[in-house]
Amino acid sequence: MSLTDSLSAARNRGSGWRPSLPKPEALLPYAVPAAILALWEIAGATGLIADTVMPRPSIIVGTATQLALSGELFTHLGVSAARALAGLVVGGGIGFALGVANGVSRLSETLTDSTLQMVRNIPHLALIPLVILWFGIGEGAKLFLVALGVFFPIYLNTLHGIRNIDPHLIEMGRAYGMTSRQLFRRIVLPGALPSVFVGLRYGLGIMWLTLIVAETLSASSGLGYMAMKAREFMVLDVVVLSILLYAALGKLADTLTRALERRALKWSPAYAGR
Amino acid sequence: MQAVNLLPRDISVPPMLRENPGASVSIRNVSRSFDGNRVLSNLDLEVRPGEFLSIVGQSGCGKSTLLRLIAGLDKPSSGEVLIDGQPADQSGDRLRIMFQEPRLLPWATIADNVEIGLRQGSDPKAIHEALTSVQLSEKAGMWPSVLSGGQRQRVALARALVSHPSLLVFDEPLGALDALTRLTMQNLIRDMHAKAGFTAILVTHDVAEAVALSDRVIVLGQGGILHRVDIVRVGPTSRGSAELAAIEAEILDAIFAA
Repeated sequence: MSLTDSLSAARNRGSGWRPSLPKPEALLPYAVPAAILALWEIAGATGLIADTVMPRPSIIVGTATQLALSGELFTHLGVSAARALAGLVVGGGIGFALGVANGVSRLSETLTDSTLQMVRNIPHLALIPLVILWFGIGEGAKLFLVALGVFFPIYLNTLHGIRNIDPHLIEMGRAYGMTSRQLFRRIVLPGALPSVFVGLRYGLGIMWLTLIVAETLSASSGLGYMAMKAREFMVLDVVVLSILLYAALGKLADTLTRALERRALKWSPAYAGR
Repeated sequence: MQAVNLLPRDISVPPMLRENPGASVSIRNVSRSFDGNRVLSNLDLEVRPGEFLSIVGQSGCGKSTLLRLIAGLDKPSSGEVLIDGQPADQSGDRLRIMFQEPRLLPWATIADNVEIGLRQGSDPKAIHEALTSVQLSEKAGMWPSVLSGGQRQRVALARALVSHPSLLVFDEPLGALDALTRLTMQNLIRDMHAKAGFTAILVTHDVAEAVALSDRVIVLGQGGILHRVDIVRVGPTSRGSAELAAIEAEILDAIFAA
């Protein structure tokens, strides 16, 4: 069969396909947000809420299109996403590594856990004045704050996950001649994974929160900067747009993690058939 | 009403001539204490290659402790446990354990769970053979969570048998199963033992199970062996027969005399 044959075959197969409308139940979660948007739009259009107080959705969509066409929106989005990701990788990576080390080694836990528990009780945003003095207002400060914020949920949940592995499984692994490396790869790591995912999803929330605060305080690019600049010039629609984008990015990160979780934990009855 | 028939052991092939003659177990003057509390004291026991031995006794009599010593999961406070003349913890994949719980990895497929028992570098075809022998080959790609309790315990049996061990120890492996599944599993274990010829040591609190499966039953109590019964089978015996009932009564008397 030639390439053109297979292409036309694929097209023929595709011709029978019609986009089916989603089931009404699937739309239910969106009913309340849609109703709020509609009311908001009507209230704005009728002058019930002045556009200088709260610009209505259609204005924000217009602003978003304008900023997207000029490329400015994507520049700021990209910068913010890169900061978030860098902080997540650094803070999450260290948190995971320490969680594993303290979950596996009693000595490592004795040495570090009480210190970490002390540091954990300091709200990491309280360090902002100190961080600005140390790092200035450059990327270092934002990376540090985001990494610190993400670190704890991932550290604590990794440690908790390893602690809660059924000791019977470890005993079975030993009795069946597994080496420490095999025990870790086949029992400890997969056993801790559900808990690590809980930490990751929790950490993602803190990641966005920290980033907003850090970018609002001091930045020359990113979504927080866009919002602060807009506030100075009283461009309210851009301010609201930034806030909405944060919500959308947070939801996107959570959705991606959920998809990853479902894939990685497909063995679990909690995810079976979903 | 028909009694459940238990297949007689294939006595035409002496244990020593089977492909896998089974390991001998020597327990010499073994004591084990926990925080000064002596559970086993100066215990001696010899298990012949290919023998099926059951250990019964009241809870806390030290039968699980003895089994853990034989399996190399624990060390005696004094004395020695030798398997084919070597210390128990050096027997590697010649010794396999079946626990009371199946202890399957929930995140590994049935086949991958059986693979855990496979000897390093041996043919993965053995996984399929082991699963076929417990009638679960069609479930190889599934997760343990979809199996019933009895099926999970059969996977655990396949995992224990896949390396063709010469000694298999069972720590109340059927205790958590319902009565009918337990009978099916007992027959399966008997068949496997008759075919593969490994030495089997079973800890159980079910005297009927011990009598149905073993060549010899020992009653443990007060840190030592209180009673020994050899069960000689000549021809088909069925559960509930008068001879087996008499042996059961004898063992129960020994347990409660403690």
